[in-house]
Amino acid sequence: MGNILEIINLTKEYKGIKAVDGLSFEVKEGEILGLLGPNGSGKSTTINCILSLLTYQKGIIKIFGEDMEPNSYDIKEKIGVVFQDVAVFDELTVEENIDYFCGLYISNKDTRKRYVDEAIELVNLKEFKKFHPKQLSGGLLRRLNIACGIAHKPKLIFLDEPTVAVDPQSRNSILDGIKRLNKDGATIIYTTHYMEEVEILCNRIIILDKGKILASGTSAELKALANIEEKVTVEVESFSKNQLAEIRKFTTVEEAEYKDNNLTVIYKKGKNNLDKLLDFLKKENVHYNSIFAERPTLNDVFLELTGKDLRD
Amino acid sequence: MIVFNAFKKILWSNKVMIIIYTLILVLFAGFNSTDDKSQMNFSATKPDILIINHDKDGDISKSLIEYIGNNSNLVDLENDDKKIADALFFREINYAIFIPSSFSEDFENGKNPKIEIKSSKDYNSSLAELILKNYLSTASIYRKEFKGQELVDIIEKTLSNSIEIGMTNKLDTKKLSELADYYNFANYSLLAGCVFVICMILTSFKNANIEKRTIVSSINYKKFNRQLLLSNALFAFSLWLIYIILSIILIGKSMLTVHGLLFAINSLIFSMCTLTIAFLIANAIKNKEAINGIVNVVALGSSFLSGTFVPTEYLPDGVLKIARILPSYYYIDNNNLIKSLEKFDFKNLYPLIMNTVIIIAFALIFMAITNFLSKKNRKKARL
Repeated sequence: MGNILEIINLTKEYKGIKAVDGLSFEVKEGEILGLLGPNGSGKSTTINCILSLLTYQKGIIKIFGEDMEPNSYDIKEKIGVVFQDVAVFDELTVEENIDYFCGLYISNKDTRKRYVDEAIELVNLKEFKKFHPKQLSGGLLRRLNIACGIAHKPKLIFLDEPTVAVDPQSRNSILDGIKRLNKDGATIIYTTHYMEEVEILCNRIIILDKGKILASGTSAELKALANIEEKVTVEVESFSKNQLAEIRKFTTVEEAEYKDNNLTVIYKKGKNNLDKLLDFLKKENVHYNSIFAERPTLNDVFLELTGKDLRD
Repeated sequence: MIVFNAFKKILWSNKVMIIIYTLILVLFAGFNSTDDKSQMNFSATKPDILIINHDKDGDISKSLIEYIGNNSNLVDLENDDKKIADALFFREINYAIFIPSSFSEDFENGKNPKIEIKSSKDYNSSLAELILKNYLSTASIYRKEFKGQELVDIIEKTLSNSIEIGMTNKLDTKKLSELADYYNFANYSLLAGCVFVICMILTSFKNANIEKRTIVSSINYKKFNRQLLLSNALFAFSLWLIYIILSIILIGKSMLTVHGLLFAINSLIFSMCTLTIAFLIANAIKNKEAINGIVNVVALGSSFLSGTFVPTEYLPDGVLKIARILPSYYYIDNNNLIKSLEKFDFKNLYPLIMNTVIIIAFALIFMAITNFLSKKNRKKARL
């Protein structure tokens, strides 16, 4: 499959500070690419540069094989954008809003009517279509925002943090909708700082920080970059410093700490880590209430690469 | 069409404010038509005059009495100094004229026989004096050339001619005053209505997030702006048309005259100017909450300063000097000029044309500033 989007050495500066620093990547047709990074990492700036909403100092941006410029209306026709901030008319109903934004691309009334109905169905807003935005909850409003951006059936969709401040039910509905769009043939670029979302949705992930690509690959490829195998948390009522020191001596243990009745043990690569720990607790006669093990997350990868948390 | 359709829907959601501003105008016109406009008409005020004639057979004195009788109320009173003094004091008469014996003969012979007068020294007595002087000065002109009945005839003919000239004015001043007042008040309704509604609509379309969505869409941004401009112009035109139709309904056929046409043209040009004012304000403000306050400052402020609520002749010079920097001043000045326009030649129309040119110049300046601000904002947003 060919590249739908190609970014080469994109650099964007604000008053001497590089918001995007020599960014290069491409997006293949049918992909869901996740741009993951903390706030201020350059995700939205990159999207805005790609869409010609912002000027940039250096770089080449090609969409569908052509240079993207403010007047590239042929390219824009095939693009859908869902911005981070909700952008709808308070005076229009849900249906009228979707119809208006779809109408900026589709002039045929019948086609538009069909597309609007499909978009309403996709985001599950059928029973709210005569509502005005002020009558909708935050989650429903986000769904409307998405419907307005994708109703014209674009081939390439940019979703810039579409689930910020959304309730779990709406979030699931939004993520399901995005999967359906991709299944129907749309290529998607999804920016977020929620690692769980990119893990669920994306075929490929780019981790950004300070405008630079830190790592890219599939979720599994990225997790392989982490130096840890798993994290085990055990709820125990008491645990001595000597016992903690003993655990730290295990060959596969990277770090161990006891805090707020929770013993947390982080393991490097290795097998049967949990067995060894349980044996130790039994031997030391330590009673535990609960125990759970976690595989490394993208946050751990980010932590490893930058020394800070994704949500810092 | 998609922009126009959305414009219509957003306009409809603001219908209440349009109806309120229109109702204010209708109510004003209604009250205004019941107001007494008689001070604007030339209804003759006749003084009460007593004539004591000691020249019973004189032709000139008879003619003088007839002339005075035609232009005043002659009062019959005994020739008694005390009674005459009382009548003057109680304003039963305003003026007493004592024509001496052989007045006609002496006058024809070039002498200036003294006519004794007594006056109540008020406005009506001044009118009586004018009537007397008017006759005597006219008679003095002809007395060298004409004598006897010929002199009387020429005096009467001359005086009757001058009256005819005064009566050729066929302007329905009451209706024209009503029209001028209506269109002067429309200054407020047009300004407030246009600025409020257009600002409400444009702040929706120009909301930063919605504008971003428009820019990334496949609609040509210039085409989009053109559609928006045309929709707004159509709204301003429709509002103007409603006000014109209302003026015909409320004030009547006077609108279907040349004066009415001039009022309509003047208000149309002003409507387009208010459109540019609305564009400028909509470009300068960022949130809808500020619109109400700005409409009050702009519409009420310029209406007060320019003479919408208080006629310009009652406004202090200082206020009028400030008002000159507002297009409303020239619009209202035009309405007042149209009201008293009798001849439609270039000389009379010139001040009207000059005011119109100034209103158009204001509109062009507002457009230029709006364009400058808009380009600057767009450039800033892309940096």
